[in-house]
Amino acid sequence: MIDVIVVGSGPGGTNAAARLVEAGRSVLMLDFGNRDAHYANLVPSRSFLQLRHDDPEQHRYLLGDEFEGIPFGAVRVGAQLTPPRSYALADAADRMPVEAPGFAVSMSLARGGLGVAWGAGVFPFSDDELRSMDLDLATMQPHYDAVAARIGVAGAQDDLLPFYPPSPTMMPALDADTNGTELLARYQRHRAALNAAGFHLGRPRIAVCSQAFRGREEYAYYDLDFWADVGRSIYRPMWTLDELERMPGFTYRPRCLVRGFVDQQGSVRVEATHADTGVPERHEARALVLAAGTFGTARLVLRSFERYDTLVPVVSNPYTYVPTLNLGMIGRATRDARSSQGQLTAILEREPPQHRLVQAQVFSYRSLLTFKLMKELPLAARQSRRMLQVLMPCFAILGIHHEDRPSPAKTCMLRRSPENGPDTLVIRYQPSEAEERTQREDEAVLLRCFRKLGCIALRRIRPGNGSSIHYAGTFPITREDRPLTCDRDSRLRGTRSVYLADGSVFPWLPPKGLTFNIMANADRVGAILAERLG
Amino acid sequence: MSDAALEAEARIFGHYLVGGTPEPAVVARYCAASRALWPAPPGARDAALLDFVQRRPWSVGPLDAAAALLDPGGLLRSKVLVMSALLEATPAHADDFLPRSASAPALLWRLASSGTVAVLQAAVGALLYRLVGRARA
Repeated sequence: MIDVIVVGSGPGGTNAAARLVEAGRSVLMLDFGNRDAHYANLVPSRSFLQLRHDDPEQHRYLLGDEFEGIPFGAVRVGAQLTPPRSYALADAADRMPVEAPGFAVSMSLARGGLGVAWGAGVFPFSDDELRSMDLDLATMQPHYDAVAARIGVAGAQDDLLPFYPPSPTMMPALDADTNGTELLARYQRHRAALNAAGFHLGRPRIAVCSQAFRGREEYAYYDLDFWADVGRSIYRPMWTLDELERMPGFTYRPRCLVRGFVDQQGSVRVEATHADTGVPERHEARALVLAAGTFGTARLVLRSFERYDTLVPVVSNPYTYVPTLNLGMIGRATRDARSSQGQLTAILEREPPQHRLVQAQVFSYRSLLTFKLMKELPLAARQSRRMLQVLMPCFAILGIHHEDRPSPAKTCMLRRSPENGPDTLVIRYQPSEAEERTQREDEAVLLRCFRKLGCIALRRIRPGNGSSIHYAGTFPITREDRPLTCDRDSRLRGTRSVYLADGSVFPWLPPKGLTFNIMANADRVGAILAERLG
Repeated sequence: MSDAALEAEARIFGHYLVGGTPEPAVVARYCAASRALWPAPPGARDAALLDFVQRRPWSVGPLDAAAALLDPGGLLRSKVLVMSALLEATPAHADDFLPRSASAPALLWRLASSGTVAVLQAAVGALLYRLVGRARA
């Protein structure tokens, strides 16, 4: 019998599987496994500026063959889901129906899951944050290190070190672009006053190779990160999956849609259907790791337990983005060679008694194209274009994440399909007025600090609940022995051998990116299982 | 809409946005995009606006400026957006859309001149917008 079945090939599934296979366990990965067969080879491997000037086919991947890359209407979620990335969400809404008024749900059935469009931010939780989740840094550190060594992380030892545990294998940080360099220089001049206000600025930690690493190329600064995976420099779960497929003991089974599981004495049976034919399949293993994404896993667990109409909590980082005008950039020539990722990371530490953190990523704007900004201005398009051309080099776009904690107004449940179709996941998410007020106040303080750096906020844009695409907390780790929760090992209570390795297990979300923490916990699940199955 | 009408529209929007006639390939792409994105005939008000623009190409700037305020999600504005996207994704027009550094005086001049033109266009456009609507009624 296979040792472990892993459901899902995203950041959690691949890192749990990698740890298990490295430990000599046999793993069967069940995955829907959508791939991009359309745009993958269209984007030339040269700089954004070069291809804009000489590639006559650029309209195909920049706008999409069906013009799906032209957004109409209000600012929407997932600006980074350009046509070459849009396969990340394909089929998910049809196969896994969701009813979520006022809450944006992004789910993936792609090979690599939502990791195909990951912003690659590496933000490990601190000891305090982990302790409030019934975990601790001593437990998690070896897994942060193992994942960093597997995926490749670039970063700097700077003012952000107190907020992110260090990594021994960290590669040098990517070079900041002109915007980032200018802001960092200004921060150094005002550092003492800003630190006293709880504001800290540094280079982001990113899952990218600033040096050649595990067959992946050194980052080329082509500014194509939203469009292509040049040289595989930025980490995607597919790179780990490709490695796993070359290793003995690992089997990847795509086109498989898992429906549920039965936890039996000594084994777990998984029920699935073939994605294309609908033919039922059964697979059996000694243990099961669910890593289908927070909402995918919620669907599987609630269905398998027959817990229809049972509310479970859900959390999601509130997200605001703020275009600012960096006055220090006026008249400055910008470098063409740059990354499209966050150039800087800011942390705002609120004074006690709040003890809250707010995190912002600072982006420049170029490769997501000018016309998308033109529609945001209430001006004639021609004049918008002329103004944006000279303003864009000065834009520093802040992506602000707030923490999120569970409440009775943030829930999801599974509603049984009245016919033979798929069940519907019903999400109700309504933050309290107090939470929203706190977030506005925190943003005001953060923007005051950025003003000291010469960044004038133009607008505050809230794309809406769920727009961070960080979802968690449905089956949280807790010491309390309650149904529909996980024990400290991420084992689902009420089962002997079912483990969760995605966002489901985190009871609340610090204002940091979740993905790296999912990977580290998945690695921990792999290590626990490898030992237990000894 | 007929091919000829779509092609005329493409040339008007292209000239308005970048000051020159777009290449035939961009015109063809605009026609394909229009058919894919708006397969149904436009509503009466949108049809009247587009017809007005076709007959008086000089009006596209003012009407676009007015639509930016009065009907930002409307068909005219959406069609101008599509043409902007197609021009931006064409090597010949890349430099019309790519960011460029400007000194403080140059930046201020660009903002002031474009802003003034935009305000004047919006004022004229708002009147035209009403006239076209009234004519339809």
